[in-house]
Amino acid sequence: MAYGGKTKTMNLEIKDLTVRLYPKKNAGRHINVVDSVDLYVNGGEIAAVVGESGSGKSFLGLSIMRLNPPDVSEVVSGSVKIKCPGEKEELDIMRLNPKNLPSVRGRLVSIVFQDPNTSLNPVIKIGEQITEAIFAHKKIGKPEAKEIAISYLNRMNIDGKARFNAYPHELSGGMRQRVMIAMAMVLNPCFLIADEPTTALDVTTSLQVLSLIEKIKLESNLGIIFITHDLSIAKNISDKIYVFYAGQVMECGKTEEIMDNPLHPYTVSLINSVPSLPADYMPKQKLFTIPGYLTKDDFTEGKCRFYSRCFKRDNNCLKNIPLNEISRGMFARCIKV
Amino acid sequence: MPGVLRYNSFARKNKANIKKETGKINNKTKQNMEKEIILNALNLSKYYKYYKSVFDIKRDVIKAVDDITFEVFRNEIFAVVGETGCGKSTLAKLVAGLINKTSGDIYYDGELLDYKDKKKNFRKKIQIVFQDPYSSLNPKKKIYKIISYPAVKNNIIKKRDRLDFAASLLKNVGLSEEILHSYPYELSGGQRQRVGIARSLSVSPELLILDEPVSALDMSISAQVLNLLMDLQAHDKMSYIFITHDLKIVRHIADRVCVMYGGKIMEISPSQDFFKEPAHPYSNILYNSMLPYNFKKQLNFTGLNGKNAGSGLISKEKGIEKGCVYFKKCYASKEICEKNEPPLKDVGDNRMASCFFPFTHPGL
Ligand SMILES: Nc1ncnc2c1ncn2[C@@H]1O[C@H](COP(=O)(O)OP(=O)(O)OP(=O)(O)O)[C@@H](O)[C@H]1O
Ligand SMILES: Nc1ncnc2c1ncn2[C@@H]1O[C@H](COP(=O)(O)OP(=O)(O)O)[C@@H](O)[C@H]1O
Ligand code: SF4
Ligand code: SF4
Ligand SMILES: [Mg+2]
Ligand SMILES: [Mg+2]
Repeated sequence: MAYGGKTKTMNLEIKDLTVRLYPKKNAGRHINVVDSVDLYVNGGEIAAVVGESGSGKSFLGLSIMRLNPPDVSEVVSGSVKIKCPGEKEELDIMRLNPKNLPSVRGRLVSIVFQDPNTSLNPVIKIGEQITEAIFAHKKIGKPEAKEIAISYLNRMNIDGKARFNAYPHELSGGMRQRVMIAMAMVLNPCFLIADEPTTALDVTTSLQVLSLIEKIKLESNLGIIFITHDLSIAKNISDKIYVFYAGQVMECGKTEEIMDNPLHPYTVSLINSVPSLPADYMPKQKLFTIPGYLTKDDFTEGKCRFYSRCFKRDNNCLKNIPLNEISRGMFARCIKV
Repeated sequence: MPGVLRYNSFARKNKANIKKETGKINNKTKQNMEKEIILNALNLSKYYKYYKSVFDIKRDVIKAVDDITFEVFRNEIFAVVGETGCGKSTLAKLVAGLINKTSGDIYYDGELLDYKDKKKNFRKKIQIVFQDPYSSLNPKKKIYKIISYPAVKNNIIKKRDRLDFAASLLKNVGLSEEILHSYPYELSGGQRQRVGIARSLSVSPELLILDEPVSALDMSISAQVLNLLMDLQAHDKMSYIFITHDLKIVRHIADRVCVMYGGKIMEISPSQDFFKEPAHPYSNILYNSMLPYNFKKQLNFTGLNGKNAGSGLISKEKGIEKGCVYFKKCYASKEICEKNEPPLKDVGDNRMASCFFPFTHPGL
């Protein structure tokens, strides 16, 4: 599925990806926590995945790298094909022999997690954590690796020399997140999955990290899948948006088009529920709300997944709803659009 | 059950009155004169001491809240903003009496705020709601017990009335009675946050301290909680100290904004004026880091890493003994700022700022 078309040399394309989540101790039925997701991103492009908590965004990010927890979940169909300059042929991560996965992770596709506090080892110096990542893929000497680590820290606007020996707790939240990005970038991957990289940060720090992501995208022609629950961030950083709800893409298209002219009731509701900043803005007005909340029941088959909270629903919505192309490059999963 | 009655009938009756009061007054000075102060803090400080290392007996001091003075009016939403570590939560805990102050005083309704003074019953008048809806509710207790606990403890209701009491409070925060017998883990973040608010409301407080009440929530859920808070302000004459780092929310609900940096107050301004033109250089940086939600993509990402960045943790290592706390990061600084500390003073229009050069814009 597309807007604007794919570039030939560098892209990551997800087709029909379905990931099943099994309930613990056989309580209840399994659900498709990621359901027939199509998504693609070119080099130098940012695709935002926007959705609320529990909608399966992190599962999508993890599954792309086959890092989804194997004890409770399984990829049941789909492909994730990546084409990188310098690689002889396109490869499908879903069909890769597990023993070849480590050579792809970090080198071709990398990931930054939501919470830098739990993903950095608190008792190892940050410099060492970065060189570890290099050694896992490259046979080079220690001084050389140290030099690379320092240069990447510098690129993240951290004084690499001074901070190489710092422990995570000695850095601020924003700095830790930038160390995480340095770690993800140190093998110069073609694609980066950023799972809510700024959610744990305050405004000024968050803006710093966003500006950095924009910078590395430009410098390295990086393709980025940017996962967030904040529409204003998605709007400001992305080229295209995938609105995600209960495991499915509800609407996707060019960022401007989605923000200016949302089609799906969920997108419309989301945009309306955020305090906004137009010139004729009225403080203290009642905010638009979406009734209820996302539950596991919304993941079940046989009805629109947004049915329980939709302001436009009727009996015709009680069936599986396909994702339809509404206009060129704009897709929506709703029978009323 | 006085608490319940208050929320059901009182609310409706007073709606008209409140409208009249807030709608008529345009003159700002008059507005402030007529406002009643519910809480004020004088030279309030909280220092944390800690040992630098096991081998070093010299102790470092973190001035989490450093000599601040402010007041909160009755029935207003007083927003406190600022970046991580600037002392917002410490301030909240000081007012709620959860930590001891290092120095200074807090007055509530003109009386010295002393939670140990049982007769005054300040615990009932001031309640706090925490940032994290996941860890602030006892996971082993059912919702109705959680909600009614403070009221039972304060002898507002009898133990046997708990269920009815909790049900009516749930209704007030827009939740259904179905969850009375649920446990916290069975609820969504937004529901939990509203249960937290319902619990604070159970003792009919006058002042609610809200520490990042919606930061952990999704957009659609955060709107539900904000609507509830605005409702309570309008109908029940509630006053709030509302801590957040989301300026969009401040702009939407706050009456006045208090900007903190490095444990100090940088600016206090009526919300409308603040969003027209921030007075303090740091306020300007905060203001400019708001993502322009309804505008075209126009973020200026460059320049954020230079002097104007205004971000990162505040350096606590040395502790600035003199001069302006914001000096190192300020785009408007001059020589005088390094040697002298700017006091928080009137800069016109009921606004206060601690800066020698207020209303200096970045990029000049
Ligand atoms: N118990 C404590 N012991 C030592 N230092 C503390 C303690 N609690 C807070 N601090 C320090 O006091 C300063 C202010 O902390 P506070 O929690 O008030 O920040 P905040 O403004 O609420 O930040 P955030 O936006 O991250 O919640 C920080 O430097 C913090 O590290
Ligand atoms: N390790 C796990 N085991 C079982 N269920 C999980 C696990 N991780 C997440 N889930 C469930 O999968 C769903 C999607 O979760 P997640 O992908 O983390 O959502 P998001 O990132 O959009 O907030 C949620 O219902 C969550 O409870
Ligand atoms: S298909 Fe029906 S329930 Fe689903 S979003 Fe469209 S109108 Fe709403
Ligand atoms: S007093 Fe000086 S350093 Fe401090 S904020 Fe004002 S201009 Fe900047
Ligand atoms: Mg997630
Ligand atoms: Mg805090």
